[in-house]
Amino acid sequence: MARQPEAAGERAAGAPLGRSSGGRVGHLTGVAALHVVTIFVLVSLVFFLPRALPGDPLNALLDPEVGGTFTAEARAELEAHYQLDRPIGEQYVGYLGRMLTLDFGWSISRQSPVSTLVAARLPWTLLLMGLALSFAGAISWIVGTTSAWRRGSKSDRGLVAAFTLARSVPDFAIATVLLVVFAVLVPVLPVAGNRTVFAQYTSIWQELGDVIAHLILPVSALTIGLLGSKFLLVRNSVIGSLGQEYMMLARAKGLPTRIQKYRHAGRNALLPFLTLLGVQFGFAVGGSIFVEEVFTYPGMGTLILDAVDTRDYPLLEALFLVLAATVLVANFAVDLIYTWLDPGVSAGTPS
Amino acid sequence: MTATSAPATATVTAPRAGSAGGTRRRLDSLTIGLAIVGLFVSAALLAPVLTPYRAFELAGRPIEPPSVEFPLGTNGVGNDILTQVVLGARSSLLIALLAGLGTLVVGATVGLVSGWRGGALDVVLMRFTDIVLALPRLPLLILMGVYLGPTLVNTALVISLVFWPPSARIVRSQVLSIRGRAHLRASVGFGAGTWFSLKRHVVPEVGLILIASLIASAGRAVMLEAGLAFLGLGDPSRVSWGRILRDALDFQALFFTDAWSWWLVPPIVALSLFLLGLTLVGIGFEQRANPRLSRHSEETGR
Repeated sequence: MARQPEAAGERAAGAPLGRSSGGRVGHLTGVAALHVVTIFVLVSLVFFLPRALPGDPLNALLDPEVGGTFTAEARAELEAHYQLDRPIGEQYVGYLGRMLTLDFGWSISRQSPVSTLVAARLPWTLLLMGLALSFAGAISWIVGTTSAWRRGSKSDRGLVAAFTLARSVPDFAIATVLLVVFAVLVPVLPVAGNRTVFAQYTSIWQELGDVIAHLILPVSALTIGLLGSKFLLVRNSVIGSLGQEYMMLARAKGLPTRIQKYRHAGRNALLPFLTLLGVQFGFAVGGSIFVEEVFTYPGMGTLILDAVDTRDYPLLEALFLVLAATVLVANFAVDLIYTWLDPGVSAGTPS
Repeated sequence: MTATSAPATATVTAPRAGSAGGTRRRLDSLTIGLAIVGLFVSAALLAPVLTPYRAFELAGRPIEPPSVEFPLGTNGVGNDILTQVVLGARSSLLIALLAGLGTLVVGATVGLVSGWRGGALDVVLMRFTDIVLALPRLPLLILMGVYLGPTLVNTALVISLVFWPPSARIVRSQVLSIRGRAHLRASVGFGAGTWFSLKRHVVPEVGLILIASLIASAGRAVMLEAGLAFLGLGDPSRVSWGRILRDALDFQALFFTDAWSWWLVPPIVALSLFLLGLTLVGIGFEQRANPRLSRHSEETGR
């Protein structure tokens, strides 16, 4: 009975990877091994999928408006240059080697080093998602605990209904609504890009203000999109803890409500909540594709769409490696938190 | 202190209070959800009656405001928007059905086999599930969707292949809990075969969970299909709510007139309402399957 909230929360969050028996170190080693396999699978998929299916990066270079083809010699020369003429096995081995040494090569469609492109975009997406997850986490934590504390009341039912509705609206629709509101009805915020084009800043504060103004709408859209699942998770876990004996003890001791609420009831929800946050952060780099697209924000999402569109193999490969690495780092952090907060894990809890 | 006395008494009486309070709401949510989904099913079926136009027919002049002839106005090239919204329901329902079933078939098979057989096979399947669960799903969906060719069937296929792990985990944990029960152990002890046990004891018990899982997968598939269409990566031969949004936002002069009010709003409302309907149906089934189960068993980031 007492395990129910954890079990539900764990299912909600997608339990951390690789629960295995053995001590804490053994557990983490197993997790790490699994992550390595995951990365390998993803890296291989990204290599073979685009090559197995129609279209190639060289044809994508041709302007579709103008049309045209390469001469056979030009094509052969380009293929040789990008080493696309080699046998697929040889390409694959070379590719794995380059991924291991983090040598991402040269983007075919954009004619610049892939690492430069990724480095220019990654911070913006991390900024977007970092802020959105922090806001969504803080809001859902406070509101969810309060709602659980007053479960069954009018305000609780209203909140549950509101968050259920919010969860039903896809984030690109939320973003579009915000776009309409702040582009047409009350045009007070910038609706595109990450800073004003051609702006000449007189001070660093002005620049910072401009960047923040451009962040408000995308971060709001992402935050609203992320709120629903977290609110319900916190609420349900806290409700699960309210009937526990330690809650009765806390009340019997006459502890202040605030302490009962956040220290005792709330803490029970912490584990599944942190897991969900961690898992969502793992998907952060690919998670803002829609919102970036609506607000033409120069992040990883729009770069992924470009790379898919132009079939830019080197760029795609690097992007997916970054995606996989983020998942890995986040999941590993979740596992560390898990083993740290919940001693049962290292003792080999069945998953 | 007095402020807390009310919730405090409630807490002492029952840990179940949260779900018990939901008894009335559970019936409501299922009914309301089914009504909403039913509305969209009838709209999709009755499309030829509801509207005289075809999806991409140049029915009127571009961006005509709503009128008797065009109840929701026309879009940038003169297609009737009501027609597109009604036919968009077909795409959404189709993807819900195909991808929902596909996800369920893969997930339930893995979950059943894993939970029933146990042992090394279980370990292998669950590790495989972990790996798929750790893949960046949305980017992978975009990559596979684009390169396989953006037809609705392919989209459903890719969604099924990438999004099955949550279903597999739920089914597995249910099977595990059933497998240990006395009646099933007795039945196996008396010589019941695998197939018989699954058919007679396991599937009926996980039935409601399977339906709840199906609904959740269907809802996610609808969201993903609309998302792909919104990114311009949808089936070019079909109307979809996401695509209507895309067309609208691509229209340069959208915000110079009031066009956005009849062009952007209907697909957003339709999409959100349909997803809300599915969510409510899912909640209804989930609570029937297990009143103590939380109502969001599948949400796992993107």
